[in-house]
Amino acid sequence: MNWALWLLGAIAVISAISLIWSSHALYSALSLVVTICALSVIFLILNAQFLFAVQIIVYAGAVMVLFVFIIALLNPRAEERPRVDWHMVLGILASIVAAVGVWTMAGSTAVVQNGKIRGAVVGRIAHPSSFAYTEQAVNAHGNVQTIAGQLFTTYLLPFEVSSLLLLVAAAGAVYLTHHARKGL
Amino acid sequence: MSTGDFQFLLFLGTLLFMIGATGVLIRRNPLVIFMSIELMLNSVNLVLVAYGRALNSLAGQVFAFMVIVVAAAEVVVGLAMVTRVFRAEHTLDVDRLDEMKD
Repeated sequence: MNWALWLLGAIAVISAISLIWSSHALYSALSLVVTICALSVIFLILNAQFLFAVQIIVYAGAVMVLFVFIIALLNPRAEERPRVDWHMVLGILASIVAAVGVWTMAGSTAVVQNGKIRGAVVGRIAHPSSFAYTEQAVNAHGNVQTIAGQLFTTYLLPFEVSSLLLLVAAAGAVYLTHHARKGL
Repeated sequence: MSTGDFQFLLFLGTLLFMIGATGVLIRRNPLVIFMSIELMLNSVNLVLVAYGRALNSLAGQVFAFMVIVVAAAEVVVGLAMVTRVFRAEHTLDVDRLDEMKD
């Protein structure tokens, strides 16, 4: 077992708990930055260098700056910590039930032979030839080049649709905030 | 990657998703709820990348990239809506935003 994974996982979980337990939204935002950075280093361990860079630039850079900016703009007063009432007990219980269900399903789909993961049940039946990207094959060309090759050939349509989605989101955000400024 | 590492990553992803879902359910500040949703999306990304690494497939990384794009768009629109609701109602408590009940 890789000790770095344990350490990063512990950091991610502790800062995630601090995210939902902080009394001020700014502390929550800083905790989320720590979680995101820990997860990005896990991506690096998992040989996903491109996602490591994207995670740092888009999440820790753009999205969290936007969050902090909005928090500073709205200046919300410190909310009291979540009250321990039946709502909270019910929420935590529902989360635990959902997590156990997901964990059971995830454990049953992974096919393990001789101590190695050989495939997920659905994926192996659907596309047996798509599992050709071994570590050596990816490293021969570089992670970014290999992902770009996939993005611009196999996944070209989702890539173009996502650019349209970003355009619509930007236009929608401008419309929402601009209309509010004129005084509702 | 060994099976133990893979199962640890699945467990970590599930745990982070559970923490995020709990945050959505128990907090009343919409900004913190949004951050919890971001945490849930990130935990799904972790599981996608772990599966892709275990199965020697790039589809996991490509899908995680798409999830990041959708999350960025969701944050932009969501924060614009929060700003607008705050200007109209002067409160950041989702329990008080109940005009549609009446």
